Amino acid sequence: MSDAATVVVDGVGVRFGGLWALREVSFEVRSGSVVGLIGPNGSGKTTLMNVISGVLKPAEGRVRYAGRTIADVATHDVCRLGIARTFQIVKPFAGLSVRENVAVGAMYGRDGATLSTAACFERAQALLEEVGLARVAGRPAGDLTIPDRKRLEVAKALALDPSLLLLDEVMAGLNASEVDEALALLRQVNARGVTLIVVEHLMKAIMSISTSIVVLAEGKKIAEGVPADIVRSPAVVEAYLGARYAARQARERR
Amino acid sequence: MTRLRGLGLGGITGNPQAFVASLAVMALLLAVPALRNGYVELTFRNILMFAAMSYGWNLLGGYTGYVSFGNVVFFGIGAYCSAVLSAHHVDSLWADVPLALACCALFAIVAGVPILRLRGHYFGIATLGIALAVADLANNLDALGGSGGLALKQLPQDQFSVYYYAMWSVALACMLGTFAIARSKLGYALVAIRENEDAAQVLGVWPTRYKVAAYALGAMMTGAAGAVYAPANGFIDPSIAFAVDDNVFPIVMSILGGMGTASGPFIGALLLAGLNEVLQSQFVKIHSLFFGAIIVLVVLFLPRGIMYLIGLRGGLRRYLHDRAAYRV
Repeated sequence: MSDAATVVVDGVGVRFGGLWALREVSFEVRSGSVVGLIGPNGSGKTTLMNVISGVLKPAEGRVRYAGRTIADVATHDVCRLGIARTFQIVKPFAGLSVRENVAVGAMYGRDGATLSTAACFERAQALLEEVGLARVAGRPAGDLTIPDRKRLEVAKALALDPSLLLLDEVMAGLNASEVDEALALLRQVNARGVTLIVVEHLMKAIMSISTSIVVLAEGKKIAEGVPADIVRSPAVVEAYLGARYAARQARERR
Repeated sequence: MTRLRGLGLGGITGNPQAFVASLAVMALLLAVPALRNGYVELTFRNILMFAAMSYGWNLLGGYTGYVSFGNVVFFGIGAYCSAVLSAHHVDSLWADVPLALACCALFAIVAGVPILRLRGHYFGIATLGIALAVADLANNLDALGGSGGLALKQLPQDQFSVYYYAMWSVALACMLGTFAIARSKLGYALVAIRENEDAAQVLGVWPTRYKVAAYALGAMMTGAAGAVYAPANGFIDPSIAFAVDDNVFPIVMSILGGMGTASGPFIGALLLAGLNEVLQSQFVKIHSLFFGAIIVLVVLFLPRGIMYLIGLRGGLRRYLHDRAAYRV
């Protein structure tokens, strides 16, 4: 393990019944970097997010974060290691207000025990301004539109004061200008020193923000590298668009 | 069961005006013994008792979303604590209530740790099983008087209102306690668990710990009511201590008043216990039928209770919108 690696994914395998959702996946994430996790539908991206965030225990291998094996830490304690995540299928606390949703993150996050309830609400308000939800802070979270629910997911995760943030398709459903806003926000968060692992289907967005890309297909890692190399990788093109398209593209490039 | 979602109920404690109004009504109820009418005093003592039991159910059932079908077990434990103390010539509410609080909390923790790992309906089924088992135990334990029950020494007639004031204090403590808990970090953890347990967990909430805490605090509320009820009634047997009505009423009262609010259980108890009293006197033989019909109508058309109606802005249109959008 290199010194700067904060997350070490080491031979992770996850099995659902007879199906391996992930098999022998290994890579490292350097502290302060932005790693894009891409792959076709069903390639195991969300499953891997679940393993890194401690929601799923892998059948094989392990994920280490800052020297700790995630699987050894109770799910509710993972956030206190500094790991926060968003859910692809957003999970707002619908009956609470938007501000209360974020405040819950502050209350039980890494430094939650030392914060007063009032301080948690202050942090929540500041984060809502940062993600652009201050205008609906008092509304029930269940009333939010889909893009706003995505923003809320990010704000809740940030309320934990994480050093590693896992983002699962937070840009899905956003329009072009909203995507730009989201990217600006993520850059800002990353600039504070937060390591990001980003799952996203929007290639343009993920290629522009990631310092490196990991590609999954059918539960296996098929490529890893800087964005410029990944878009030219025949294995990646094949996984996304099929072998025939990859062959044609290779011919045309010649 | 319809989950509480999507609607502003005026914050985590519910509508603040409703809470202030509930406190005002509580203050008025302090004057009931001055009427020197034994029937009225008994009726309102019952309302206060049911209010306390509704608060006891509401903490886990309303705030946390885990429906217990066996909370009467704590009423019974509280009642038997008083009865056993009385059998040992200790006849003081100052001993009865603390013992009941301790026993109920302990029982809730011991029973809650395994069964609150269960999610959803399985928990409810387990609570029902526990209530039946404990009632059976009381039926067969000679130390608890078996099915014949235990008599308790009562205060002389001129001091009988002490039981009323004690029940009033228990109900007030439940009301204020619920308000304080709801506004604390604990309250937010409970609602987060209700709204989405997985999301709560990744935000650092340890579900089992907080569910057990809500269960135990609710058990103490219900147990305190039982501990005051037993000497006030002067006699306890398993059919009284673990009565079906005492199991069902607090749930219905919480729903009618408004689950997961700090004034809903009190409002529900006031309305439903009052209504039951009227129905019982007017329709001696078929009052249960009316009562049952009211329960069904409330669950169908007002599952979020009176507190929802109080907070409703926009009249029938908003109600119909909410019904369609949130299936309230």
